[in-house]
Amino acid sequence: MAVPAARRTTAVRRWRLSEQKIAALVLVTPALLIIVGLRVVPLVLGAQYSLTGDGDRNGVFVGLANYKTLASDPVFRTAVKNVGLLFLALPVAVAVPGILATFLFLKVPGHRFYRSVYFFPVVLSPVIIGAIFNILLSVDGPLNQLLGVVGLGPVDWLGNSHLAIVSVIGVHIWATFGMALVIFMAGFSTLDQSLLDAARCDGANLTQTIRHVVVPELSQTIQFVFVTTMIGMLTGMFGLVYVMTAGGPGGATYLPEFYIWVTQGQMNSPALASAASMVLFLVMLVVGLAQIRLIKRATKEV
Amino acid sequence: MSSASGHLWQFRRGWVAAALVPALALVSAACGAAAPQSQAGSGASAGGAGSGKLVVWDWHSGDATTKDYYAKAKSDFEAKHPGVQVEFVAQPYDQYYTILGTAIQAGKGPDISMFNGGAQLRERASALLPLDDKLGDLKDRLVGWDAFRKDKTTYAVPVTLQGFPFYYNKAVYKKAGLDPDKPPATLAELQTDCAAIKKSGNACFNLGNKEGLGIEFFLSGFGPGVFSPAQYDAWLAGKRDWKSPEVRQIFELWKKTNDEGWYNKGVNSTAMFNDQFTMFSGGKGGNVIGLISDTAHWKSFDEFLGPDLGVYKPPISDPANVKSTFLPAEGGIGYGVMKWTKDPALAMDLVKSLASSDAEKLFFEKAGAIAADKTIDTKAVDVPAAGEIVSWLPDSKPLLHTALSAKTLDLMHRLSQQLISGDVTVDQVLTQLAASDK
Repeated sequence: MAVPAARRTTAVRRWRLSEQKIAALVLVTPALLIIVGLRVVPLVLGAQYSLTGDGDRNGVFVGLANYKTLASDPVFRTAVKNVGLLFLALPVAVAVPGILATFLFLKVPGHRFYRSVYFFPVVLSPVIIGAIFNILLSVDGPLNQLLGVVGLGPVDWLGNSHLAIVSVIGVHIWATFGMALVIFMAGFSTLDQSLLDAARCDGANLTQTIRHVVVPELSQTIQFVFVTTMIGMLTGMFGLVYVMTAGGPGGATYLPEFYIWVTQGQMNSPALASAASMVLFLVMLVVGLAQIRLIKRATKEV
Repeated sequence: MSSASGHLWQFRRGWVAAALVPALALVSAACGAAAPQSQAGSGASAGGAGSGKLVVWDWHSGDATTKDYYAKAKSDFEAKHPGVQVEFVAQPYDQYYTILGTAIQAGKGPDISMFNGGAQLRERASALLPLDDKLGDLKDRLVGWDAFRKDKTTYAVPVTLQGFPFYYNKAVYKKAGLDPDKPPATLAELQTDCAAIKKSGNACFNLGNKEGLGIEFFLSGFGPGVFSPAQYDAWLAGKRDWKSPEVRQIFELWKKTNDEGWYNKGVNSTAMFNDQFTMFSGGKGGNVIGLISDTAHWKSFDEFLGPDLGVYKPPISDPANVKSTFLPAEGGIGYGVMKWTKDPALAMDLVKSLASSDAEKLFFEKAGAIAADKTIDTKAVDVPAAGEIVSWLPDSKPLLHTALSAKTLDLMHRLSQQLISGDVTVDQVLTQLAASDK
């Protein structure tokens, strides 16, 4: 009798286990269905769609023809090249709020005022920011008038094919650095005051304090800002490009998002746009995975 | 064991079901969130004889100036079909073809859509019903059909005409010491005038090429004065020789006029809509290639310039090649019937109401659009420029740029900006355009 009883308990325990599993499954089902229905299915459909043709060949399987078109399209190549430029601009986008947050932390005169002023652009929509800078940066705009006073000729900030993308990235950094600033400020508030006092006692000057105390203490914060800023740059610049340059001049300020939008709507080539979306997805995937590794390593260090 | 756990399972199954109901409700609510967008399609499919609803997509029904036009068309239709509801959905113009493209991809959307003539219509012809056997008397009353045909099949009914006249500001001409009542008739005269206007401190032409649209106006605007009649017709018929001296002349002129300082500064960073036209309305330029309908037309300039507004036809560039010029004009906007509509005859009746003489007259008088209806009386409008434009219409020919595909136009936009910034040569531009336009 003892043996079946023991068996029964195992059976019940097993049953209970799977019972718990079912309960868990039921609870995650809504979230799962939403993710599968609204994320995974469209993604798979998009991947499948990118292998079909446009126009007369609508729905016909064309293999990798769309991807070959992309590879030979100078506009798409410019868009990808500009993504590379975003990576190059990343250190600047992190350094600007970092340095300003340091000044605020050191309580420079008027730091309360600057704290709110720096955050102000974050609450503005990209369209408004773009419209404001369209005026500021126009050929007869205030910035060029200022340059004129100094004796420098007017610069067509948004009409010069080499300068325009730099201008747009610059405006994006200006528009979004407030958020990174807040994260830095939060990091500073956790800074160990005794380390700073010790550094002062040891006679460290400002540069030495920043280099040997502040930066190492803030390494996690800095890495987090890197991650969020990069995501912001990859996903949040459509509005600025749309308003400030419309991708011009000569396609010099195209970014993948803008290319996808133009290809789908204006060119009526949704399959080609799907292929471009898949490329952007892969880029984001690589960047995302690299970032997860970064965060993991950062948390291990502590 | 089996009965005990079976009982338990039954109890649990009830529990699972109870949990699943809100879960499914949540999911269906999430899917339902997309419903308002597709409502246009589902609502439209309810259309039947004498009841139901027709949905029209456009980018004008939200304008204050077109209110009377839409009200007239609607009342005209509803008098003939009581019980059928008509809904006009105004989409933002810069998003219009993106939104419409999504609807076409999904195979459902509005019953009737507004289209620009030319490439935008032709590239979506497969989603439209051929209308040739349904036109009736429209065919004789309206003009501008070519822009709405693809391979000799008509896909939309023209409502307005679009064209590129040269507008000029008589006050700016006067200030430059020129005769304000004698606009340039040849390119040589225009060049002399431009030199004088530039000297007087104004831009000779206002130009905004941020979107690359400037080259469309330039090509179609100067084309009639450069191309011989035979070459013009061949271009429209699809026989386009990009390496011909005339095409080269237009693109070289585009670059040369910029280098010689005809335009306001920052051409590539100035938006055509509306910065370019705001400058002209504000008296900051002598000339502008404008439109005859929709926007940037005689009526919008008249509000600011009044009697100073003048208009002239494209200047003759080479008198040996071109004896006389004409206003380049063709069907501007029109309405097409989407192929998925339930009742094509009913939809066609609404299109007929939208193109009725009474409605078009209101479109002309209130919104300043040159109507496609040649029977309407234009005397009520006392803007001299409007009278001149209307008088030129019988000799007009379609625009050069609308014969090109959207892909080639997009390339031309970018190349025109690169020509101005000096990143390409005219030779490279023509080679690339010839390769694209096959």
